[in-house]
Amino acid sequence: MSLGDRIAADRGRLSALLERHVLWLTALLMAGVLGVMLYVPVGVVFGNAVLEDGVPTLSHVADVLTDPFYFGAVADVFADPLAIGTHLGSLAAWLGAVSITLSLEYPLPGVDLPVPWLALETPGVRKGLFGFTAYQAALSTVASVALGLPAAYILANYEFHGRRTLRSLTILPFVLPGIMVAVGFYAMFGQTGTLNTLLGTVGLGPFAFIETNPLAIVILAHAFYNAPLVARLTVAAWESVDVRTVETARSLGASKRRAFRDVVVPQLAPAVLTGALLTFIFTFMTFPIVLALGGLQLATVEVWIYDRIQRLDYTEAATLAILETILSLGLTYAYLRYESAQAGFSQAASRPTRESLVPDLRTTLSPRRLAIFTYGLVALVVFVGPMASLVVGSFTDGSGVTLRNYAFLLERQLEGESFQTLPLPAIRNSLVFGVATLVIAVPMGVVLSVLTVRAGRSGTVIDTLAMLPLAVSGVVFGIGLLQGLVFGISLPGGWRLQMTGAVAIVVAHAVAAYPFVTRNVSPMLANLDPAMVESARALGASRFRALVDVELPLVVNGIVAGAAFAFAISIGEFSSTVILASGSESYTMPVAVERYLGRRSGPAIAMGTLLLAVTAASFVVIDRVGGRADR
Amino acid sequence: MRRRTFVSTIGSGAALGLAGCLTQDGDSDDTDDGTLTVVTYESMVDGENPAGPWLKEAFEAEYPDAELEWELLPDQGISHYIGEAERDISIEADVYLGLNIDDLVRIDDNLDEGGLFRELDHDRIERASRIRDGLDMGDPHGRVLAYDTGYISLVYDESEVDEPETFDALTEPEYEDALLAQNAQSSDPGQAFLLWTIDAFGEDGYLDYWQALEENGVRVLEDWTESYYGAYMNEERPMVVSYSTDQVFASAEGNDLTRHQIAFPNDQGYANPEGMGIFEDATSVDLAYEFLDFVLTNDAQAEIAQRNVQFPAVEDEYVDLDDEFDQYAHVPPEAVTVGYDELQGNLDGWVDDWAREFASQ
Repeated sequence: MSLGDRIAADRGRLSALLERHVLWLTALLMAGVLGVMLYVPVGVVFGNAVLEDGVPTLSHVADVLTDPFYFGAVADVFADPLAIGTHLGSLAAWLGAVSITLSLEYPLPGVDLPVPWLALETPGVRKGLFGFTAYQAALSTVASVALGLPAAYILANYEFHGRRTLRSLTILPFVLPGIMVAVGFYAMFGQTGTLNTLLGTVGLGPFAFIETNPLAIVILAHAFYNAPLVARLTVAAWESVDVRTVETARSLGASKRRAFRDVVVPQLAPAVLTGALLTFIFTFMTFPIVLALGGLQLATVEVWIYDRIQRLDYTEAATLAILETILSLGLTYAYLRYESAQAGFSQAASRPTRESLVPDLRTTLSPRRLAIFTYGLVALVVFVGPMASLVVGSFTDGSGVTLRNYAFLLERQLEGESFQTLPLPAIRNSLVFGVATLVIAVPMGVVLSVLTVRAGRSGTVIDTLAMLPLAVSGVVFGIGLLQGLVFGISLPGGWRLQMTGAVAIVVAHAVAAYPFVTRNVSPMLANLDPAMVESARALGASRFRALVDVELPLVVNGIVAGAAFAFAISIGEFSSTVILASGSESYTMPVAVERYLGRRSGPAIAMGTLLLAVTAASFVVIDRVGGRADR
Repeated sequence: MRRRTFVSTIGSGAALGLAGCLTQDGDSDDTDDGTLTVVTYESMVDGENPAGPWLKEAFEAEYPDAELEWELLPDQGISHYIGEAERDISIEADVYLGLNIDDLVRIDDNLDEGGLFRELDHDRIERASRIRDGLDMGDPHGRVLAYDTGYISLVYDESEVDEPETFDALTEPEYEDALLAQNAQSSDPGQAFLLWTIDAFGEDGYLDYWQALEENGVRVLEDWTESYYGAYMNEERPMVVSYSTDQVFASAEGNDLTRHQIAFPNDQGYANPEGMGIFEDATSVDLAYEFLDFVLTNDAQAEIAQRNVQFPAVEDEYVDLDDEFDQYAHVPPEAVTVGYDELQGNLDGWVDDWAREFASQ
């Protein structure tokens, strides 16, 4: 054997070795990254709640649990859990006071349209901050699923001009800074907003959409963020449905409806439930949109965490945040138990054939098509409206149409000083961080999916714990990064280890983003027929080979969707970016938006419009590049 | 304790592999090399037509051997520096431009009394005597000098409501569902308005007053931008808590001034003076004193006032402002402010009691 052959053989053995262990090596690396960027920072803050001078204590947790301001009526139960008789008594008294009435109401202001209204009169129950937070999150989840599912149905089942572009752009709302969403909603739904202006042209209004029911507007704003999430997850799953399973059911005599219910729905359910779970968790930790649109009466737990951090009361902030996290992880675990119990039977992603949306006039006027167009109109108002109003706002001032806001950006770019925030570096940084995040987060997310799907209860536990980035208050994560990485960890000899700047930002983004990849990919992996991998392994393929050659091609839709989310998370991330970028050139577009926000809002809104344009273009590119593997 | 050490050892080991940055105490440049590092908030350098670049250029022209470096205030504000001081991390900056009274209270609640900034030697700041009465900010440790001030007032639409003469008027039916305010937990004007009502009704009366406001439908939004550019400018409501310089922006924006009328209830406005101080860790102390004195010159006072749209801190005779500024920027007949002594030990409790009143579900 010549030397060259031997080297080749060694290399072959080495790569075979690497290939065999690549999954575990990635997992190990990932654990290291998570340790530094997630567990240490979060642990530093959480420690405040459960340690008193180094001694573990639960007294802070008990204080919060028994405070009616936080837990309402339930606080009594926490205070004295064994007084079951008393608690049952008050529950019975409450039930006795419930009454149901039926009446005719006129829900639309100024419109003479009676609607029968079933009113449930319940005596007031003190919800507490946690109760109200959960209540508005539940309503937001229902609204997001209701608005997101029709979009998924249309995008997955109908063909029309611009469908793929539209699918790429669904998660655009995800990247908008909260303040821009608030300004966009006022510009769309305000008394002199776009919607009232449009209604005014046909002689209607103006309506006080926001003032009449602030909670409804907050929920709509939550749906603006999260319905696209539900839609994107569900479209990816729908496009991966194994159509042959439907055909089999049909050939066995199942009606179209029956086949849908028994074959398609079970394949979609994990994706829809994932969307609902994520929506609930996000809207439970919502900030600052509730106060921007709704007001302090609608304050949530996160508002209090932020306030406590501002006042340097880390003990109470950490206690509240731990309770939030326990709730979020508990729900995640319950869901993942369900997901892992799903039996997979899909063997190929043979996407359903799409019908043309407007084939001819007759079909176009069918009830189903009309319902689709009505939904389209609603989507136009809810999703496009606020963003379009924002864009219009960037081109106007008190005297009409103007380019001065863009002139400001141009002038700043051309003549700005080195200590100022310039538009182009912000765009460049955002794109570089976005791509880098994608490169790190996609492998992390996929490996986690592969290692935990079908790994039984221990897989579920690991998967749940790995979802921590979603379940930790953003405010707490930010302060943890500040205390753990920016201030640094002190070492012996007066040394101090600090991490800031571009690399730290990218890793923090990747940590925030990989759970989205996992949650997109896992439901689809679980849906695959395990026999396929087993046969590949039996034929001698390594676990890695089987993954790359058999499984990944079948879940590519989920990976592309996950990649789009990872990119979106990175582009939109603000709270940890602003902390890690302080004192450096590593500012991003949302940071620039915030820095331009002064007594005149125009420059910030123009920067926000640039953010939307750059992100929209990137999403189309990601989908086109990722889609090539698909078709 | 041992567990923590363990965790941080593991963490730092892994971080080294990533992209750590090791520094040793005393690494930093301790010599006075003619560079003055000044920390300030965003709108001083990043807004539209900010005063920061002008200050840098004019100061360097005046002191040719000096270089002024702007450093953006970190996101956590003063808490960032408190955190560094608690960990004995030396603070690189020399001067802080933008210090509030409640920043001083926050410092003293968390660090040693009178910490973080030096007690200023007024003999070294010739122009300190030019500062108007009532802007001394009341720090018992003498760490701060005001360089400008703003006044919180009400801005209203005269085509929809009459000018509210008093605070009590705001609880009457005429102003039902009329007022927009901001969350005192998170917003500067929101906190100023709350303190103003505490000044007017006392510690024991302000919650009753706010309850009356709540019954009359006040809306408390997150911060100034959404309450002003979101709700007020889209005509959700006819009145908003804002700044008495409102017309300067409105006229520059080409807006009709009908919706930009200024009201001073009880003939008062709440003064929010902004101050400057020198860090204890400062290395360019002489230059820092020169800078503080420079900020109080006629030119600097006029530029800061007009570019930042705030009022100068010095007496009228020491500053010349454009007529347009005088015309549109309104000064209240009486300025009130809750000083250091009253804020210390009370601020957090006042805000918390108020916020719980609103957010109780």
